[in-house]
Amino acid sequence: MAKTNLIGKIFNAGPLILLYYLSISEIDTNLEKVFEIFTFNLPIIIIYFWILKRPSVLGTGHIFVAGLINDVVMGFPLGISSLSYLVVCFFSNYVRNKSVNTTIASDWFTFFIALIFANLLFFILLNNFSDITISFIKIGYNTFFTLFLFPIIWLLFSFYQENFIGGRDA
Amino acid sequence: MSVSRDDFSIAFRSALLQRGGAQKFSILSLIILATFIFFLDVYGFVVVKKARTIINDVVFRITYIASSPSRFIPSAGKDLTNHFNLKKENKKLKQVIENYKSLNLNLEYLTNENKNLRKVLDAKNIGNAKHIVLAKVLVDRNSPFLKSIIINKGTQAGIKKGMPVTQDNYLVGRVVEVNYLSSRVLLLTDLNSRIPVTLGSDNAQAILTGSATRNPKLEYLPEDYVFEDELTVFASGKDGIFIPGTPIGKTTLSTGKYANEIRLFVDPNQLSFVTVNLIRLNKEKF
Repeated sequence: MAKTNLIGKIFNAGPLILLYYLSISEIDTNLEKVFEIFTFNLPIIIIYFWILKRPSVLGTGHIFVAGLINDVVMGFPLGISSLSYLVVCFFSNYVRNKSVNTTIASDWFTFFIALIFANLLFFILLNNFSDITISFIKIGYNTFFTLFLFPIIWLLFSFYQENFIGGRDA
Repeated sequence: MSVSRDDFSIAFRSALLQRGGAQKFSILSLIILATFIFFLDVYGFVVVKKARTIINDVVFRITYIASSPSRFIPSAGKDLTNHFNLKKENKKLKQVIENYKSLNLNLEYLTNENKNLRKVLDAKNIGNAKHIVLAKVLVDRNSPFLKSIIINKGTQAGIKKGMPVTQDNYLVGRVVEVNYLSSRVLLLTDLNSRIPVTLGSDNAQAILTGSATRNPKLEYLPEDYVFEDELTVFASGKDGIFIPGTPIGKTTLSTGKYANEIRLFVDPNQLSFVTVNLIRLNKEKF
């Protein structure tokens, strides 16, 4: 029984471990070497999906810390990724409060709004308050591919949730 | 109508302030905290700068360890292939040694010639390249927005902000952030990179700017400049930071979006060891 509990806890912590690992490791979702414009933001999809489906899996404190780590590794001003992650978290929480049953299509649409706001905030803060210049086109590509890949990752996470974690939180 | 507005405000407030279970902190409080940290960092408060330096050193080390599996798998494959090619490589290396031996004979003559030419040029910065620090690339995480690498040497090794970074004497970037045990190097391909360069037999001056693509571009070329293929681009050293004559890359005859692009001698995605030139930054005196 205790062993089953432990395995369950490990599966439960899977998305959080993935989020931290993506923030801290060299493994990234920037596949420019393969296709020059192809980049996408997996942490944002992780946050949106799991806050929407199982908020008990990802604590907001962890999301905040993962953002800070990401800023340190990427060289951005501290707090900017955290802010962008928390905006996504807020949208996800809001959709969760307002809806009873969600479908992949409705999640995709609401994710689009969350992503636009998060990336807009990221871009505005970086361009206006720091010395770093980033390309608006790059942000555009990143947003597009993140949005484009959302349904595929949604299906993968749903499969993981159904088979390893369990149903939606109350 | 008013019911729907109430619904909206309840859901909105709840999304911002809700706590419980795994959510130990409300989103609003964390947003305020993140904003506070962001502005402290952006406006360069000393305490935050020092804290960031310590955090950077710790996180970069952890990142290096965490990334070791991703580095090990491709390198294991390469090692295996290398092992099978050992004999061939040995033959090639013997040939290379022979070539070097013959080249060595010319070295003394070239050294003397170089010394004389330096005197003629009166290039003060060349002498500064004596002090170099070899550094290992800890992290080369390829951000879609920033092109930078982390190296394992910092202020402890004498590295300062702005110092040029090379590999095999080819310029790869400059130091933009220094911690005690690590530093961040901004690569030539980054959008924020600007380097004065010179090219061609007529020593045309230009600025090499990162374009967030694989190859940086030449800007501010002389008017009516005819762009030629396969010209070597060197750092001009006009900024007093880069050593004049440091080779950077070759010009390519591309058109349209890729016009005026430079093919770098060093692939910024394949860096494992780099050298930091501990030059003294020349401040202009008026």
